[in-house]
Amino acid sequence: MDPVFSPPLHRQRHQFVIDFVKRNKPKKVVDLGCSECNLLQKLKFHREIELLVGVDINGANIKKKMHGLAPMSTDYLQPSFDQLRIELYQGSVTQEDARLRGFDLVTSIELIEHLPLADVERFSKVVFGYMTPVAVIVSTPNFEFNHLFHQPAGFRHSDHKFEWTRAEFKSWALKVCLEYGYAVEFTGVGQAPPGQQERVGFCSQIGVFRRLEGRQNGNMSFGDDAEDVFQYTLLYSINYPSLHNNNILQRVLVSEVLYWAEKMKRNWIEEKTGERDDTYALCRAEWEGEECLGASEQHMEMEDKQTAACGAEMKNPGEHQESELFWTNGERQQESLRLHRCVSVPLAVLWSCCPKLSALSGSLSNLRHILMNDPEVKLSHDGSAVLLNDQEQDLEEEEEDHDDLEDSGYPICSHSVETEEDWEKNV
Amino acid sequence: FRRISAGEVGRKRWTPPGFSRCRGTSGAAIQLTANFFRIVSRPQWVLYQYHVDFKPPMEARRLRSALLFQHEEVLGSARSFDGAILFLPNRLHNKETVLHSETRNGEKVQITVTLTNELPPTSPVCIQFYNIIFRRILRILDMQQIGRNYYNPKDPLNIPQHRLTIWPGYTTTILGYESSIMLCTDVSHKVLRSETVLDFMSNLRQKCGNQRFPEICAKELVGLIVLTKYNNKTYRIDDIAWDHSPNNTFTRGDKDISFKNYYKTQYNLDITDGNQVLLVSHVKKAMGPSGGPPPGPAMLIPELCYLTGLTDKMRADYNIMRDLSTHTKLEPEQREGRLNRFISNIQTNTDAQVELDKWGLNFDKQLLHLTGRVLPAERIFQGPKSYDYNPRAADWSKEMRGVPLISSPVLESWLMLYTRRNSNEAQSLLQTLNRVSGPLGFRMQRAVMIEYEDHQESLLRALQQNVVVVLPSIRKDKYDSVKKYLCVDCPIPSQCVVSRTISKPQTLMTVATKIALQMACKMGGELWSVEIPLKQLMIVGIDCYHDTIAGKRSIGALVASLNQGMSRWFSKCVLQHKGQEIMDGLKMALSAALKAYLKFNNCLPSRIIVYRDGVGDGQLHSVVNYEVTQIKDSINSMGHDYMPKLSVVVVKKRISSRFFAHINGKVSNPPPGTIVDSEVTRPEWYDFYIVSQAVRSGSVSPTHYNVVYDTSGLKPDHMQRLTYKLCHMYFNWQGIIRVPAPCQYAHKLAFLVGQSIHREPGVKLDDLLFYL
Repeated sequence: MDPVFSPPLHRQRHQFVIDFVKRNKPKKVVDLGCSECNLLQKLKFHREIELLVGVDINGANIKKKMHGLAPMSTDYLQPSFDQLRIELYQGSVTQEDARLRGFDLVTSIELIEHLPLADVERFSKVVFGYMTPVAVIVSTPNFEFNHLFHQPAGFRHSDHKFEWTRAEFKSWALKVCLEYGYAVEFTGVGQAPPGQQERVGFCSQIGVFRRLEGRQNGNMSFGDDAEDVFQYTLLYSINYPSLHNNNILQRVLVSEVLYWAEKMKRNWIEEKTGERDDTYALCRAEWEGEECLGASEQHMEMEDKQTAACGAEMKNPGEHQESELFWTNGERQQESLRLHRCVSVPLAVLWSCCPKLSALSGSLSNLRHILMNDPEVKLSHDGSAVLLNDQEQDLEEEEEDHDDLEDSGYPICSHSVETEEDWEKNV
Repeated sequence: FRRISAGEVGRKRWTPPGFSRCRGTSGAAIQLTANFFRIVSRPQWVLYQYHVDFKPPMEARRLRSALLFQHEEVLGSARSFDGAILFLPNRLHNKETVLHSETRNGEKVQITVTLTNELPPTSPVCIQFYNIIFRRILRILDMQQIGRNYYNPKDPLNIPQHRLTIWPGYTTTILGYESSIMLCTDVSHKVLRSETVLDFMSNLRQKCGNQRFPEICAKELVGLIVLTKYNNKTYRIDDIAWDHSPNNTFTRGDKDISFKNYYKTQYNLDITDGNQVLLVSHVKKAMGPSGGPPPGPAMLIPELCYLTGLTDKMRADYNIMRDLSTHTKLEPEQREGRLNRFISNIQTNTDAQVELDKWGLNFDKQLLHLTGRVLPAERIFQGPKSYDYNPRAADWSKEMRGVPLISSPVLESWLMLYTRRNSNEAQSLLQTLNRVSGPLGFRMQRAVMIEYEDHQESLLRALQQNVVVVLPSIRKDKYDSVKKYLCVDCPIPSQCVVSRTISKPQTLMTVATKIALQMACKMGGELWSVEIPLKQLMIVGIDCYHDTIAGKRSIGALVASLNQGMSRWFSKCVLQHKGQEIMDGLKMALSAALKAYLKFNNCLPSRIIVYRDGVGDGQLHSVVNYEVTQIKDSINSMGHDYMPKLSVVVVKKRISSRFFAHINGKVSNPPPGTIVDSEVTRPEWYDFYIVSQAVRSGSVSPTHYNVVYDTSGLKPDHMQRLTYKLCHMYFNWQGIIRVPAPCQYAHKLAFLVGQSIHREPGVKLDDLLFYL
């Protein structure tokens, strides 16, 4: 019987790469011969990686599942500082492309055996001589292992141009190392049955190449623009949401600030009025406008009406001793004769009770700076506090609107229903 | 789905093509656009269906696909293959094509591809197929799929105070409509949380304390849909595994692995809280096509899940809903603009066009234009007077001021209960009620005023007789116990008022008027009426309330008219028992309604029209097949020779169809009374849309009516107008509403029983609108 691998061999090869990534934490990784992006699909969860690239000569194969590499919905909900960009190219590994230089890891999983030997030479030159990554993982079938498969002699796949013995693989690898300044270690996945490992080796043989320091100086500087070639076609690229993006950072920060500020405002109002905002109470009143009716819905507030004099300053008791929340200036609006009230929440208080804010913004002054430029946040004149509207005021405004709207002056149409109509007769 | 029984409605059966007998005639024509885009395909477009056979047979579906797709040069790049059936946009040279492939192991496989069918664009398979392709297009546009719809996560709207994030997106369905296949697309907003379920749970525990936490947490979470950090699937939370943690193991392959290790090795995700409980989701679909045993429930880690949508509690929170609606409410012009932009994005995206071209498909560049009709406004009859209302505003609260009601009972003896804190408000409410009830012709004796301590037992002790209760705040438990007592234990009409509602002197008159009107109809008063040109007619409204929390019991409510003016109603509510169809109980309710009609009129109705609301998409078939039979049974039980005319109309509010009127060069909502019964109706149905209500802001939603059974012989025009008239008859709103009044009454009743009472109300209340 043919050897059966558990987990399956292809998964073991991918796991080998993943383990390597976990140990070495490369920032830029490219998978050559990525096909339907299966390896990339796994690597994208390793957020040490900042640039993840796939290359395949068959663009149609890449396109099949490439949209699966897009960020997931949840990646947008709580973005982290991790950055990730994914790019997919259609191109040949025998051709150079400047966008693939300077990577930390290049993987070539079960790829080279699909190339004619002459192309393997070009592949070596492109990968080790031109792309010059820090590390390269090359896997290819081990021909010696084939004897364990009970099938007619030949290669494992009809498209294989060759399958190397361990010695052949080693000789190619050592030549590459000598020529381009790399060191290689040999290993593999897919153990032979007990007792035969020594004789036949791994089912898939793997060479892990590491660039020797100090040899590749000339190539590493990429200074020479004239040499930059772009022969690959970009099929897909996406940036994962990250807090390094200023827009996203600002959005998250503003949300966080407003969340905490609103929360403190609610606590304060509760304490002040002695009315618990019972969050399990249904906000409902019997004659309240029917929600489904759409038109002028009337809604009731739970809290009793505030009658506090404006400008009254109050200490917020409880855990935040230093906080000073207060109704700010009761600025009279002549037209409406209503008081414009808002609650002021000092930034310093927010800063101290929400540790996430410092993680996001670094310093209080930076936080203030970001908030000042945001249209959603209202800061006090000196920028030391966030101002929040007292919601009850809004309610009253709305209710006044109702009255205005009742008189919207449409022409009153004369009614045109025939008063005595009998549909039965028409039947 | 096709229509059923004995040829009663099937419009296609007796209608020559091109002429629809299901259209109305009255009203003034109005030019509208609708949120539909026609699908245009090449002339003589057909989809070719092939059967694919493998020799030797191949088990794995993936392998079958891989082997087949080795022949791209023959099959082309546009193809869709499910393992057995292959669809291609073009015809292969021969009816039977033999291909040869080779597996990885060098095994030779012979594949025979045989043409079995040529599908015209309107065939159901093609429609399904369009939907699949359209999903691909949305993916190409970088939209995220959540549930059935697609959203754009790159431009979120945040509502920080509630930790909500809203993604704009679209609902899309492609279906065959009256004259062509169209894409119906509407703007949709997905509400998401920017915190994990674990965050949500710990916040909740903090708020409600350890003791109440498990109960409240289950109430909040069960039924909600979550997204996970590791895949793009959605899961419904069905239960909480309080005895599980991430350290529990499950069997994977032949080994046991802990959840914690699994997520680490599989997705590199760290679980920081090892003590969190797990969420349980019963995954519906069976695993492979091989018919293996269905997998057990999925266990989800709260830390790796995000909530979507709103909890019931949030839905009931006015502040949240207001904040949401300011973000999501779109004026007709904005909405139309977004839809146009959506289609033009598809037209201008090269990848999307390539995909569509491959299949020879495309979309119209413009929204569908169609002609609707605006029904004339109704005249409102109230007591001795009649008046017109402003047809644009669809509201007569002003017109009815100072006009006596048709009839109202005398409020002989009643109590008003209030807490000490609210005694001022209660006193002024009483005075104002007395002032406003006079002109309405509503005679009120002096109330007995009773002060109660602000806790439940004291309140219940104080309750006897016709009652107004002033509640200091809106506390569901208090409201529930009052209503339970006064609907079940001691059935008398009651009225609750929240003190805040009556705390503003400047609005007290308006408020008291509304309260007085509400009290009057709760005691059997009749407020107004419209002309109903059918005699001996009984209108029935049916709606359901699905209690997702308490044992998943459903509640069905049936409301039936008792008089010509549609101002007296018989109401009955039934609680569904396990494994029972809701209609089994409602059958009894309908018999009771017929008996009540008989008692009231000394005759049975010669014509019954049932408006059935609360039918999900998947249930339509069972309504048509099962409920109609039940209704007929119920009618037959009244006597052998009793054969009234019967119509059953399924009412649907939650639809994605929208209409826009273009008035004076401005995109606006269609006026109340707009009827659409062409183009966007379905060829196999007798259906129409009515825009009955007016909205002050945002886009109006039409209501869809589907006449699934009809022996009335009523002209479609009359069916439409009667339906519209009934939208005027909801006494809790001095204007036109979205659905016929009996549907809204049934909804109110089912809601009250499902939310607060949980039992059948006393029979004494059957002919009163006590649940308003």
